Amino acid sequence: MFLLLLVVNALLNSIYDRWMIYHRLNRNQDRQFEAFSDTLTYLMLGNSHDMINPQILGNSFNYASPSEVYTQTWYKFKYILEKSSKKPEYVFISVDPVNFSPKAENTIKFDGYWRKYVDYFELAKETGDTDYLVKWFTGRYCAYAGNYKFIFMSLFYLNADFSKVVNGYRPPRDYRNFALEPDRRASGIERATSYLSGYGTAPDPGAVRYFKRILELCAENNIKPILVRMPLTDEYLEHANKLVDMKSLDDQIEKIAGEVAGEYLLFDFRNEFSGRPELFFNADHVNPKGADLISHKIKTRLIESGNY
Amino acid sequence: MLCIAVNCTSGCQIVNEIPAPAILLSVTVNFTTFAVLQSAQMLFNSIGYLFFLPLTVAAYYTLPRQWRWVLLLIASYLFYAFWNPAYVLLLMASTGVSYFAGIKMSEQRSKPARRPYLFLALAVNLGLLFAFKYLGFFTGTVNQLGSIFGFGQIVPYMSLLLPVGISFYTFQSLGYVIDVYRGSAKAEHHAGLFALYVSFFPQLVAGPIERARNLLPQFREVHEFNPVLFSSGLRLILWGLFKKIVIADRLALLVQPVFGQPEYFHGIQVVIAMPLLMMQVYADFSGYTDIAIGSARLMGFRLSPNFNRPFAAKSIAAFWNRWHITLTTWLRDYVYFSLPSKSGGRVKSWKLNLNLIITFLLVGFWHGANWNFLAFGLLHGIYMALANIFKPELTKFNQISGLARFPKLLSAVNITATFFLICTSGFFFGQHPFSDSLTLIRNITEWSNTSAALLTIVKNNDFLLGTALIVFMLWFEYITMEKSFKPRFQSLPVSLRYAAYMAMFFFMLIFGIFTRQEFFYFQF
Repeated sequence: MFLLLLVVNALLNSIYDRWMIYHRLNRNQDRQFEAFSDTLTYLMLGNSHDMINPQILGNSFNYASPSEVYTQTWYKFKYILEKSSKKPEYVFISVDPVNFSPKAENTIKFDGYWRKYVDYFELAKETGDTDYLVKWFTGRYCAYAGNYKFIFMSLFYLNADFSKVVNGYRPPRDYRNFALEPDRRASGIERATSYLSGYGTAPDPGAVRYFKRILELCAENNIKPILVRMPLTDEYLEHANKLVDMKSLDDQIEKIAGEVAGEYLLFDFRNEFSGRPELFFNADHVNPKGADLISHKIKTRLIESGNY
Repeated sequence: MLCIAVNCTSGCQIVNEIPAPAILLSVTVNFTTFAVLQSAQMLFNSIGYLFFLPLTVAAYYTLPRQWRWVLLLIASYLFYAFWNPAYVLLLMASTGVSYFAGIKMSEQRSKPARRPYLFLALAVNLGLLFAFKYLGFFTGTVNQLGSIFGFGQIVPYMSLLLPVGISFYTFQSLGYVIDVYRGSAKAEHHAGLFALYVSFFPQLVAGPIERARNLLPQFREVHEFNPVLFSSGLRLILWGLFKKIVIADRLALLVQPVFGQPEYFHGIQVVIAMPLLMMQVYADFSGYTDIAIGSARLMGFRLSPNFNRPFAAKSIAAFWNRWHITLTTWLRDYVYFSLPSKSGGRVKSWKLNLNLIITFLLVGFWHGANWNFLAFGLLHGIYMALANIFKPELTKFNQISGLARFPKLLSAVNITATFFLICTSGFFFGQHPFSDSLTLIRNITEWSNTSAALLTIVKNNDFLLGTALIVFMLWFEYITMEKSFKPRFQSLPVSLRYAAYMAMFFFMLIFGIFTRQEFFYFQF
């Protein structure tokens, strides 16, 4: 019986690891990055907020992945610099409230994929949190546990077309217009509450620690960080402002960046699409139309600042 | 030098150093050797327990009989130390004083002679409970009253870290002491067995609250490995984990935002959140109890049942006979029956009803030191008193309306009405501020934008899954408790039975939530 349990578990784990849509997307991104032979000027790192189209910028690769937190970003960035021959001139890092939320920082996801980059043992030792060991274990031996949504999503996208992924950039899986959302305010509250509640008065120390480390890596390798505040909907911001002291957060980020990175660029597009819900996929993500528009704006700013 | 951790009113934590003699305060002694243990609380739904339980059970059956209690005692204290090693001292204090009082009372022949020892045990156990659970509430309330009447802060606000399980083990100790005082139980002379009775790890942190007459004799029994009891224990653990990890924690995703930010939830959202909350609490607490009873069964111990399909109750009184049974019977035996009900030599119904309200106020207050739980208890006390007062009228109404002629329909009406009343008390069930409960009650009357809100709810995967799981849980418990499910299931071929267990196991793995979620009743 016990042996059968182990066999079934191994089978399920293997199927999930191979076919989970985000694992497939992330590994496809890995393959594209490995095969990327152009000059790498701009590298986008971070989570799904980083909807910057590399085709618009040129000489760039978007390595952002769903639900990624700074801890993962740092490990991946370190891996790129140490184990690949590619070194970008600029690195884009989104600095949205969600990046500094304790909720985001404490929920490292997709361990089956991230085992390749993240040193869970080091994390457990550093933080004293044994949950990281559990995450390593489940990522290795039971990655499907608790992931029914991703199982269904993977089945739904079993025939996903990866040819649309260019230079790592994946347009949102379907075109959604937030303007058509029946209750935008409720949606904004739901998204903000899910990711920002319990924020407290200060950004999460773990997030800050790894944000600093990312900037330190940039400084050590003469890479200029470009911090981006991506556009957010009015509905999301209305509620987010109640949960997070946005001014204080922005000040702290700029202070850290000034101290650690020295030279950096900061593009603030947070309110850029105010009153334009049609440019959003949901309350806190731009849709392909919004993404292209913001990518053009970023290109303009880069040109204006002499960094293009 | 010991430290006390004091919560200031704004929620920040101040650590004041005080001299060592000032014990009975939240001790945060620097036990560096236990630092690792503290970071890995021994929750029933943790990886740690997955190793702890099998190792303990294996060692239990391997050891010679005379040493088994020692193993269980060490395991139980270790289990408790995983939360906070310093709080083991409290457990020891409660145990030591209750043991001493029991021995001393057994040496006295008359009740008056036993009384000082009873009072000593009551004072220490209730004192611990007061200091660690109610001090913050009382100092806060005194200061609030002070500011209302213009005196400002009267006493320094002090709120200590609540030791997990204190409400359970102090009640268990007190039950023993009162039984010895009344002469309904003999004093336990074996200090080790008594310590084990108070600290037995399966039921230490959230019950069932065991009576000495049930649990203590079992420690003297020789438990040979019993495959039937063992497999029933495993089944209960599996079902308990399923209820906790798959159902309760899933429902918590839906309920927590409502109580976390009540100002953003209105009308239909609040109406739906209330039954979900009660189902979450039930799945969580009964899930814990199943794991506790199942864990004990693995070693041959039989703990008291704590739940019996409470949502099938046809009245609030019946609900409390089915919900947290060991607490209700404890309060019935040691509080309700002790309250005076006679006047002029005759039992007065108004006194009985008043006693009910007092007892249920205590039920509420036992759950937590805040106005919410007091309101929760008061509401249930009033429900029961009103049911008593209007019982003749209700019976008459059932007859006149013709409902009495349709017993099944009458049962359905009663079950629905009872469930509705339970849900209305759900506003006050939790550690959230009392003002949030009032906000939710106020918001329930706002029904604008209902269709959009409803659409958002029904499009939520967790809501759909959670609802389906609730139906499954209620159905499964109905067939396993009410019908001849067990004999029929046992008569199935082994392969089919194992396939069913495996299906449940993998369903739990796929649909469960595996981030560390504490059990709801640990906060009590």
